[in-house]
Amino acid sequence: MKPLKIGISGVRGIVGETFTPELAVSFAQAFATYLDSGRILICRDTRPSGPMVAAAVAAGLLASGCEVIDLGVCPTPSLQLAVTWLNAQGGIAITAGHNAAPWNALKFIRADGLYLNATQATELLDIYHQHEFEKTPWDLIRPMTERGDAVDHHLAILMSSFDVAAIRKRGLRVAVDCCNGAASALAPRWIAEVGSQVLTINDDVNAAFPHDPEPRADTMAQVRAVVKAGDAAIGFVLDADGERLGLVDEAGRILPEEYTLAIAAAIRLSRRSGPIVTNVSTSSMVDRIGANCNVTVIRTPVGLPYVSEAVLEHHAVLGGEGNGSIILPEIHAVPDSMAAIGLFMEHMALTGSPLSVLAAQLPRLSMVKSTIPIEPNLIYSTLQNFRDRVQDEGGPAVDLSDGVRLDWPDGWVHVRVSNTESIIRVIAEAEQESRAHELVDWARERLHG
Amino acid sequence: MRAIPTLKISISGVRGVVGESLTPSLLARFSQAFGTYAGFGRIVVGRDTRTSGEMVRQAVVSGLLSSGCRIIDLGICPTPTVQFTVRRLAAQGGIAITASHNPPEWNALKFVGDDGLFLDGNHARELLDIYHQGDYTKVPGSAMRPVEMMPQAADEHVRKIVQMLGPLPAGTRRLRVAIDADNGAGSMMAPRLLEALGAEVFGIHVTPDGRFPRPAEPLPENLGELCQAVRDHGADVGFAQDMDADRLAVVTEQGEPVGEERTLLLATQFVLGRTPGPVVGNLATTHGLEAVASRFGCRVYRSPVGEANVAKAMQRHHAVIGGEGNGGVIYPPINFARDSMVGMALILHLLAQTGRTVSQLVEELPPFFMVKKQISFPSHRIGEMLSRLRREYAAFPTDLRDGVKVILPEGWFIVRGSNTEPVVRIVAEASSEAAAADLSAALLNKLQPSRE
Repeated sequence: MKPLKIGISGVRGIVGETFTPELAVSFAQAFATYLDSGRILICRDTRPSGPMVAAAVAAGLLASGCEVIDLGVCPTPSLQLAVTWLNAQGGIAITAGHNAAPWNALKFIRADGLYLNATQATELLDIYHQHEFEKTPWDLIRPMTERGDAVDHHLAILMSSFDVAAIRKRGLRVAVDCCNGAASALAPRWIAEVGSQVLTINDDVNAAFPHDPEPRADTMAQVRAVVKAGDAAIGFVLDADGERLGLVDEAGRILPEEYTLAIAAAIRLSRRSGPIVTNVSTSSMVDRIGANCNVTVIRTPVGLPYVSEAVLEHHAVLGGEGNGSIILPEIHAVPDSMAAIGLFMEHMALTGSPLSVLAAQLPRLSMVKSTIPIEPNLIYSTLQNFRDRVQDEGGPAVDLSDGVRLDWPDGWVHVRVSNTESIIRVIAEAEQESRAHELVDWARERLHG
Repeated sequence: MRAIPTLKISISGVRGVVGESLTPSLLARFSQAFGTYAGFGRIVVGRDTRTSGEMVRQAVVSGLLSSGCRIIDLGICPTPTVQFTVRRLAAQGGIAITASHNPPEWNALKFVGDDGLFLDGNHARELLDIYHQGDYTKVPGSAMRPVEMMPQAADEHVRKIVQMLGPLPAGTRRLRVAIDADNGAGSMMAPRLLEALGAEVFGIHVTPDGRFPRPAEPLPENLGELCQAVRDHGADVGFAQDMDADRLAVVTEQGEPVGEERTLLLATQFVLGRTPGPVVGNLATTHGLEAVASRFGCRVYRSPVGEANVAKAMQRHHAVIGGEGNGGVIYPPINFARDSMVGMALILHLLAQTGRTVSQLVEELPPFFMVKKQISFPSHRIGEMLSRLRREYAAFPTDLRDGVKVILPEGWFIVRGSNTEPVVRIVAEASSEAAAADLSAALLNKLQPSRE
């Protein structure tokens, strides 16, 4: 199976295999052609393949007449804020986010700082496949410059978006694991700037990832130890580009990834009212929290572009996905772990209530996730067979907004094709863990048959 | 058959027009091919000042990193500095990003081997095979190393020249030098070198912005402003470089261009005066070279045209000096490359040592007159035309290593077909202007029937 995935989440692959300089050059040219050139920002996370990909992207953008501003190693949300700040036409974030170190990816950002949506991504792909790119003659080639102040700008926005005085007064002790990623230069600084004592690990942007950059139980063991040893009030784990956030409570308990959004929702709705947006695969905890507060939860297909656009459309007070992506719309309508860190610190400062209490108040639901690797040439037909089969069986209501989701009174199961890997994901949730397993098995049987 | 006039992939490298055929994908692929060919190791990269230079550099960097090379990036620097640095660091190879004397819309990759020489025909063919096969070495990110920036490489080059040749002798009048770098890669380095040698420098076109204030070839007709600057400042000499500072042209203290062929003669005169030894020129370089060498009892060897060929012949014959008639001076103790900086230092030393003016020195050179012409010619008929010439001139001494060269009583000529374009190049030389013109006219007449 060749690890290359081109779709709504950008272009993603393994460097040294399918993710080649030529691929990156061509996509950069296609993107420049799509945006009619103009000013384009680029940034990268700390993967060792980053400079290779950044050079290929820069070459493609320059050849197509863009003015390129290179933000260097910088979190994706910092670039997204800088796109509007610097009146850029768009941006390319070179990061495979939570994927392991051998991967890299291009994520395409438009002039409002959001990712290209599905329609736009399709248009970009059409240009890529057509392979007729804008070419600029020698005397119209524009310069490439570097700037390192995107994180300063991001920090200034954070400082004006939270009750900094309250956080400073509380004097929290906070542990953070930056995974040697792009947020190393921002997250610890942000936490310290509001007067918290910060216990930082893995903030060396020149070092390899100490663990996979996806906040999971096994990758959060280090920060958990720091929380315990350092007696911290909370521990944060970031992914490689500052989009996802994992939490450890003051007792050193690693919270499941779905808790990040659920706790953020509880915090948000304790202070304001309005819709929440998440995808169809995210835990029903948010529905229950929303129902308690009489707010609507809007579900979108899986993928940040869908969530971000729905956040704007519905004037939501919060958006996000179950993987630890949190969107605070008053800062920007894209996931931003730094903003999420602010939300948690501010809440703890204002209420004095520890994270474990918030976690304990969440609805008790069990989620079971399973993945089935499938050859790319079989993946969509497998899903179609599954859909036909469950519809023929005449079971519960079927939601087809993204893959196939089936809802029973006591739980749900969602079967969909991954946006980033050649796998089918099966996710089920129920009050009883055994029931969730049962639902996963039910779906897997029908996928294999 | 329709030639694609904007892209030339040949044993001389890859050359093309930016915004047309010289695309970043092509450049990245070629760099991957070179990285695959060089086989890991350190690769030195430098570029001239062309506006497309940054784009090309980024594509080259991505391709080299992807194939596992460690990049040493010199930034904007002369091509000879790339070659010099490859040898100094014992690197695996180098890529000079420059279309040399071509107009501004062109750019190119020139490939340097681990000996600091451009790849010769055989090596270049191997590289081309790898490029065409398309199966390049690809390494995972964990095997990639950060690009190492080395902006001080030009300073090292300057230091080496001053160290080897010494500053201009003390106690003599300070030489006044006008330099025209055409806003190219020599813009910063050439004035620095001249000052380090102890000259007083008047620079024109020394803003390295790649905006070609004059055509890049340092031909007499392109040097009007330099000649004016020489007269305005009362300079002892004027020097002109092309965009990547490999070629050098000289202007006299009276503001007269001496012609590119004489650059090598002046440099040779100085070198042989210090260290007599073998000299190498290419087959189309002026025979004034033999005349100068014979004054010192030295022998001249000839090689096919092209820097790689000349440099190889110099190594084989242990030459003390060599080069080409287009203003390319190669002085092995410093660099096995055409190096305008070295050329300037040699000629300034000649001026200081002899105390003569440039016009006096030129006056003392053997008189010769040369006609150079390029005419369009169907590529598929070149071979047939050359063998016919060979038969017609069978009674005279000929040299067939690069086209057909014929030595006649009144002078000599050479006819060469281009590898990359449907043209032939003619050079004819004689001891009077009229004789040279007659020679070339007679030759053109002979070629005419085959052109139609």
